[in-house]
Amino acid sequence: MASLRSDEESFEALFTAEYARVAGIANRVLADPHEAEDVAQEVFIDFHRLHSASAQYAPAWLHRAAAHTALNRLRGARRRQRREIAQATEEMDRTADPQKLLEVNEDRRQVRQALARLAPRPAAVLVLRASGLSYAEVAQALGVGIGQVGTLLRRAEAALRKEVVRGTSI
Amino acid sequence: MAHLSEGTLRRMVDEPDANAGADARHLETCTECKARYETVAGDARAITSLLAAPELKVDVASAFNRVRSAPAARPRFGFRLPVMRPGSRPVVLAFAATIALAGLVVTAIAQGGSIFTPTTVEPVPVTVADIQALSQLSAYGNLTWTTKPNLQIVTSAAEAESVSGLKPPTANNLPAAISKNVTYAATPKAVAVFTFSKDKAAAAAAGAGKNLPALPSGMDGAQLTVTAGPAVAEIFGNMTAPKAGTDITQAGVPTLIIVKSSAPVATSTQVTVQQLEDYLLSVPGISPELTNAIKAIGPGGTTLPVPVPVEFATSSKVTVQDVAGVGLGDNTGVGAGVIWVKGGSVYAVVGTIKLSDALDIANHLT
Repeated sequence: MASLRSDEESFEALFTAEYARVAGIANRVLADPHEAEDVAQEVFIDFHRLHSASAQYAPAWLHRAAAHTALNRLRGARRRQRREIAQATEEMDRTADPQKLLEVNEDRRQVRQALARLAPRPAAVLVLRASGLSYAEVAQALGVGIGQVGTLLRRAEAALRKEVVRGTSI
Repeated sequence: MAHLSEGTLRRMVDEPDANAGADARHLETCTECKARYETVAGDARAITSLLAAPELKVDVASAFNRVRSAPAARPRFGFRLPVMRPGSRPVVLAFAATIALAGLVVTAIAQGGSIFTPTTVEPVPVTVADIQALSQLSAYGNLTWTTKPNLQIVTSAAEAESVSGLKPPTANNLPAAISKNVTYAATPKAVAVFTFSKDKAAAAAAGAGKNLPALPSGMDGAQLTVTAGPAVAEIFGNMTAPKAGTDITQAGVPTLIIVKSSAPVATSTQVTVQQLEDYLLSVPGISPELTNAIKAIGPGGTTLPVPVPVEFATSSKVTVQDVAGVGLGDNTGVGAGVIWVKGGSVYAVVGTIKLSDALDIANHLT
């Protein structure tokens, strides 16, 4: 019976159900699978220390924490520099066409810089939705009404486009 | 009916069924809203492609194990040191892997006799995949902690000494750029025991479709005990504790870390470690990475191997405090470090500094 499960068992079930999605949200922000898994594990560790895994709000908490923790990392200039070096080194090994790789990296870098300049809520709504969360899940994660999600998303998309354009025209 | 809002149109792009009814009927018949819908949908597609990310393949089971093995107790200040977080990349990984692994598993399989205490250090170029492969040793036996490491963050040198029994070294010659803020970390000694298991090794061999080679006498149940630490570390940097509930990654990144640890000691029962190592290499199904890791590290003797991930760092032999040491200068120019063994202790000076600075600090350490 679910109610008789120990917290450890509940945590494992929660981890199994949500890990891929939590890591996916972080990867959407960071565009770096390794660091995304770092963030996901950190988020689960923090959750486990402070909350019960059977709490109803658990998935919403994890989704929001993944987005905000990853966005905070993105804003850390030193980390960004290190990540780009690591990413470039790893992808150089895998990719045959260095010119194409440079272009893809440059695009990703510009989009992530723009994302880092957005306010926390628009940035979070964009990455949560782009990570495949439903409108209901996005609403729960951000603590807003489901009816607001479409409006927030539309505004956030406009803001991101503006930031990307600003970033490339400097 | 009034025209549909931007928000409603946006949701209809993603979840067409959500607004079935009046809104959907309006969209069918209103050319203006249809045109706006097309714009909204086009913008949404453009943003989706902007936010494309590299493919993520997760291994949920191994990720769960990593999270489960995270320290259970909350450190005193409620935050962990970024540099010690497992898997932080990439420069930190080189240093963290170097220091942590040099002390434990690597030492365990490095030694040639039945008792091993290192008196000098040697750089061993490995790949990260090789280091990670060491965890595959669990397929051949059981690794247990009889005394778990218990890293604590403390506020003073005196407290660090009372936790570890070691007096933190004094840095007499710090470059001006290094913060004078010092945080101390200390751990009592930790003891790990690896017990070779015939049954587990047989299962690993069977996984490769082979039988286990004949076991040397005493091999089944042979134990390797590694004692690491106690250790004390001084972390220079503005490590302000973030407010409760804020992101721990906002804690400052340390600029310099000085570590002193009792040299690790490894002992074995029933067989010599060389025998154990040779036998492990003969077991069918052992991965090429694990073979590399074991071969790169042996034969040891009185040398502490310092695994240097070739992807991230270069190593060189240096003289520090009149003994041979290993210098680390990473390829990115972001950090450097020095590791040496003297008087039964392993020392490390690493940071976001130049190798010449690291050597200077190391040579003036008392």
